[in-house]
Amino acid sequence: MKPLTPSSSAGLGGPAWLIASRSAAAEAFATAAMPDPRLEQWRYVDLEFDIADYQLAVTPGDAQFEADAGPTAGRALVVDGFITELEGLGRLSELSAPPASPAIDTGADIFATAHTAFVRDGVVLHLERNSAESDTYLMEVVATQSSTLSFPNLTVIAEEGSQSSVLVFCRSADDVDALVVPRITIEAGPAANISITIVQEWGDMTRALAQLHTSIERDARVHLGEVGLGGVYSRLFFTVDLQGSGAHSEISGLYFGDEDQTLDYRATINHQAPRTTSNMFLKGAVEGSAHSVFTGMIRIEEEAQQTSAHQTNRNLVLSRDASAESVPNLEILANDVACGHASTVGPLDQEQRYYLTSRGLDRDRADRLQVRGFFEEAIGLLPNQAVAPGIRRIVATKYAEAQAAGRA
Amino acid sequence: MNALEIKNLDASIGEIKILRGLDLSIPKGAMHVIMGPNGSGKSTLCHVLTGKEEYEATGSVKVQGVEVLGTPTDQRAGAGIVQAFQYPVEIPGVTLRDLMEELAGDQDDPDAFWARVDRKRDEIKVGRFMDRAINLGLSGGEKKRSEIFQISVLNPAVAVLDEIDSGLDVDAVREVAEAVEAMRTNELAILLITHYDRILRYLKPDRIHVMMDGKIVRSGGPELAAELEGTGYEAFRKVAEG
Ligand SMILES: Nc1ncnc2c1ncn2[C@@H]1O[C@H](COP(=O)(O)OP(=O)(O)O)[C@@H](O)[C@H]1O
Ligand SMILES: [Mg+2]
Repeated sequence: MKPLTPSSSAGLGGPAWLIASRSAAAEAFATAAMPDPRLEQWRYVDLEFDIADYQLAVTPGDAQFEADAGPTAGRALVVDGFITELEGLGRLSELSAPPASPAIDTGADIFATAHTAFVRDGVVLHLERNSAESDTYLMEVVATQSSTLSFPNLTVIAEEGSQSSVLVFCRSADDVDALVVPRITIEAGPAANISITIVQEWGDMTRALAQLHTSIERDARVHLGEVGLGGVYSRLFFTVDLQGSGAHSEISGLYFGDEDQTLDYRATINHQAPRTTSNMFLKGAVEGSAHSVFTGMIRIEEEAQQTSAHQTNRNLVLSRDASAESVPNLEILANDVACGHASTVGPLDQEQRYYLTSRGLDRDRADRLQVRGFFEEAIGLLPNQAVAPGIRRIVATKYAEAQAAGRA
Repeated sequence: MNALEIKNLDASIGEIKILRGLDLSIPKGAMHVIMGPNGSGKSTLCHVLTGKEEYEATGSVKVQGVEVLGTPTDQRAGAGIVQAFQYPVEIPGVTLRDLMEELAGDQDDPDAFWARVDRKRDEIKVGRFMDRAINLGLSGGEKKRSEIFQISVLNPAVAVLDEIDSGLDVDAVREVAEAVEAMRTNELAILLITHYDRILRYLKPDRIHVMMDGKIVRSGGPELAAELEGTGYEAFRKVAEG
């Protein structure tokens, strides 16, 4: 394993632009500190680890494709930060220049800086103008080695009028104490139509801090589906910039935290142009002593007139020691807008339980049906429905196990 | 043996006493109607019969001779008493078919159960919303039909129908009444709660009871409905107090 030093960064090779961008970040990383928990972006969570406790793997562990994604248009397997298989997709290191916008502010936090400094290579999906691909592109991200840190990277460049769907599937075994810092960048050109579904099933000891940035141009549409199931700590920090008039962002997802998991979602939707629309629908549950955080910022710039932005976050707290934060925020600088947010945190609904038990289901079964129904609304909205049966099964099993163990 | 036998039933919620010494027996195969003004405790009686937790109840409620007071709600259904709710709750993400699938798992004879589901679905015309979330976005009449459908497939000994006619237009009331008559068998006891005599034009109840302030103040044959229409509830209040 290699420590996170400038010389480790320099040893990663690649084209000159990549080496230069890594090197600048490695320098910044050398003096960067773990996040200040008082900062808004880090409130409500306790990281309980230091990035310096992890090092870069020098070889990838053994892993194969596992996701049941049906026919694919292209696929990539990324193991411990190494691209070990690649079909029908490109590499960051093959680009002669950096992707158009280094969309993420690399100075934003130590994890963003570390990603830029130590990213080994990235997977690139470049969709030509007006191309339409009906099969999905699959990227599987696997962590196999404890004490290692990896920086999986995906860039989607969708040119004008292109259409495609992407599935990102993250996993690790339960005994793998690894840190994974993925970054996904999506640039949707005018009138492009892109969907991306991210399913994370990290193992019980894995920590993941993912960054996702989407920029959406005129009349383009990006649908993000997010499913958060695993990890002792799993964070998704994402920003969506609606840059061109008529751009649309759709976000649908669910998360379920069990035992001592922390699931941490930080969303920012920036409406920067007129007639842009965004809609977010996220549902989560926590049991045991799990903790979830959702903070959502909708920001509407002065020039973004006639926009509409809606955000719904509903949380089920299934046990006394579990907790959920749901913090919606609006910052509106334009005057002709339609905005709304709905945010709830609460236990199972007693009236639903009464109704279902009055039909003869015992309390546990009635509650299982209610939990299934709660998530069904979100599962039904995921852009990739091929993953839905597997997610239903995992959610049902998680809750049944929690009931059996007296954690919910 | 009576299908339902209620003796000296008291019920309260916190400090508020709602039912005060209510007695009522329904033989199997019979349909009894309870009429009473708003707030007299009709829905409370229904909820106490099906074991809603927030009510504290004393006395005795026997379903087919078995005491059910104090048992949890699901066991009431097991004992043979099921309610059609006045205000059925919405269950997002759970369809009527999902619920049927859950219930089928408990049946001794699942094939017979599914045959009943198919038959009742067509009879009560719930096919259109079998695959929609329970009660979500249904019209008043559809909700009532969904309730009657669920009771019909559960095939209980006692059906409690709480204001199955409220909030419906004339045609829907007649349709619901027909569905209730279609439920009747020599085995099933029906307790039908209503506020108005409107639905009674289409039904053939065996007994009518007038409920005021948490107890039955008068019982009689079907002709009692006509009398009530003439005098209103207030006349009965005076009788009860006088
Ligand atoms: N959950 C409750 N909490 C407080 N008061 C209740 C509750 N349920 C019923 N009551 C009271 O008990 C009385 C009877 O109500 P209800 O049984 O709904 O009457 P009905 O169905 O005959 O209109 C009313 O005064 C009502 O306000
Ligand atoms: Mg009532």
